[in-house]
Amino acid sequence: MKDIRTKNVDVSVEIAGIKMRNPVLAASGTFGYGTEYLPLVSPALFGAVITKTITLLPRAGNKPPRIYETPGGMLNSIGLANVGAKKFLAEKLPELLSRHPVVIVNIAGNTMEEYVELAGLLKGRPGISGIELNISCPNVRQGGVAFGSDPVQAARLTALVKKAIDQPLIVKLSPNVADIAAIARAVEQAGADAISLINTLYGMAVDIEKQKPVLGNVTGGLSGPAVKPVALYNVFKAGRAVKIPVIGLGGIMNSADAVEFLLAGAAAVQIGTASFVNPGTVKEIVNGLKDYCLKKGYSKVSQITGKLAL
Amino acid sequence: MMLEQKATITSHQKIAPRVFLMAFASPQMAAQASPGQFVHLKPSAPGPLLLRRPFSINRVEGKNIFIMYRVVGRGTSLISSLPKGTEIDVLGPLGNGFEISRKYQEHVLLAGGMGLAPMQFLAGRLKAMKLESRFFYGCSCKKELLPCPTPGKVIATDDGSCGHKGFVTDAFLSRIDKFKKPVVYACGPWPMLRRTALICRQHHIDCQVSLEAFMACGVGACQGCVVKGVKEYVTVCRQGPVFDSREIDWEQESGL
Repeated sequence: MKDIRTKNVDVSVEIAGIKMRNPVLAASGTFGYGTEYLPLVSPALFGAVITKTITLLPRAGNKPPRIYETPGGMLNSIGLANVGAKKFLAEKLPELLSRHPVVIVNIAGNTMEEYVELAGLLKGRPGISGIELNISCPNVRQGGVAFGSDPVQAARLTALVKKAIDQPLIVKLSPNVADIAAIARAVEQAGADAISLINTLYGMAVDIEKQKPVLGNVTGGLSGPAVKPVALYNVFKAGRAVKIPVIGLGGIMNSADAVEFLLAGAAAVQIGTASFVNPGTVKEIVNGLKDYCLKKGYSKVSQITGKLAL
Repeated sequence: MMLEQKATITSHQKIAPRVFLMAFASPQMAAQASPGQFVHLKPSAPGPLLLRRPFSINRVEGKNIFIMYRVVGRGTSLISSLPKGTEIDVLGPLGNGFEISRKYQEHVLLAGGMGLAPMQFLAGRLKAMKLESRFFYGCSCKKELLPCPTPGKVIATDDGSCGHKGFVTDAFLSRIDKFKKPVVYACGPWPMLRRTALICRQHHIDCQVSLEAFMACGVGACQGCVVKGVKEYVTVCRQGPVFDSREIDWEQESGL
C-alpha cells in the first residue's frame, strides 16, 4: 500500500527558472510531439516534455532500418525526422499545449544561421517554457555533434541562440567528446542556463549473413541501460565543472537509476528508451523518488541533488 | 483505444518448425482488436530483452488473443520459451488494420509464409460479415506449410510439393480474370508484396498490404519503423501496418 506520508514530499523543481511539477522529463525524440502515447500517458505527467528535435525545414530523416536492439541497449539512426518549424508551430505545439504540460522545444540546424533563425521563430511564443539546443545528434552529417564536440564552436552557437530567444536555454551535450568538462564550461560561459547530457553514444551493428550494417545509415546512436555508467560519469564530470543546473539522462529505467543521477549532481533527469519499454515509467519514477525522500528524511526531492559523498 | 495490460499466457505451443502459436487473456483488447492490428509485448519480469516486440494478431477467441510467430532472433527466441501461465506485458491493440468495405464483391486474401498470421483473423471477420472471400496461401515447400483452419484455400509452394507449383502471386494471377469487383489484402515477404502490388496496379485492383519493421515505441513517437512511401517516409506502427499498396514506394529494398 502507498505510504500516505509521501504526500508531504515536495517533488517540484525549478531549473533555469522553469517551474516543473517533478524532476522527470521526457527526453527529446522519444516522446514524439507529446501526444502519441495518449490516452495511455499524458504529457502533463512529466516535469516537462522536450519535443522531438525541430528544424527550420521539414526533415525526412535517415534511410531505414533505423532501430536495432543490442545487449542492454538500442541503436537508432532516426536522423532528426520532423515536420519542420512551420507545421510544428501551427499544428503539433497547439495540440500538445491543449494537454497543459510544461513544454521545452529541442532545436537543431545544419548551420549556425539556421539555428538562430529557428530560435527567433520560437522567441516569445506562449507555451514554450524553454529551448533545448541539440548540438549532440550523432546521426546527421551537418550540425548536430559537429557543433558539440568543439568548445569554441559550441560556445559561439550557444551565445548566438541565447541572444535570439527570451526563454531559458538548455544545451544538450554529447558524450562523444574528449573533455566533457571543457564543453560544459564553454557553453556555461556563453550563456547557457542549464545543460543536459548525455545524448547517444556512437555505435553500430553488423548483419553477418548479409555482411552489411544493420542500420540504413550505417552508424547510429546507442541508448538504454548499456550507456548508464557512461552517462553518470559525464553528468558527474560536467556537474563539477559548472554552476548552472545539470539535467541527467542516459539509460534511466527506474527510480533507483534516477536517484543515482541526482546524487551525482543532476537537478532533474530525462527518460527516453525507458518510455518505449514501459510507457508509464514516469509515474513509477516520481513515486519512487518520493519513497526515497521519505526513507532518507528529505522533504524536497531537490535535496537529493549532489548529495554524493566522496 | 490503446491499452497496456499484464496478461497471462493461456496456451503456447509449437505448431511447426520454429513457429509458435500463443494465446493470452485480455478481454478488453479482444473486444477491440480488428484484423491487421498488432500487439507490442514483452515479458513482465525483467530480463535480457529491452524493447517490446510487435506481433500481428492472428485471431481472437472469446477473451483470448492469439499471435503466431516464427523464431527469428533473440526476442522471439526468448518469448517462445515462456510457458503457459507466464505473465506478459502487452501494449495494444495498435496500428491501423484492414479496411473492409462492402463496395467490393470478392475479398481476395494473399498470405506468404508467416504472412499467414494476420490473414486468419481477417478471413474470420469477412466470414462473420458474410462477405465472399478467396484465400491464397503460399510457402516454400510442404514441410513449411502452417496449419490453418480456414477452409477452401488455394495453396501454392515454390517447389510444387503441395498444391500449385510456384509463388502464391502466380496462383493468384492465374485466376485474376475470374474475380468480380475484387479487393486484395496481402501479407508476406517484401518481394511477394511488391509483386502483388504491381499485379494489382496493372489490373486496377485495390490492394491493401500489411508491412513489418523493427519497432521501438509502437505508437508513432520515435519514427524508428518507417518505410518509404510515395511521398514521404511513413511509420509502420502508427500509419500502418496496413497500407493502400499505392502509398508505398516498391522500389526500396526491405530492411528486414
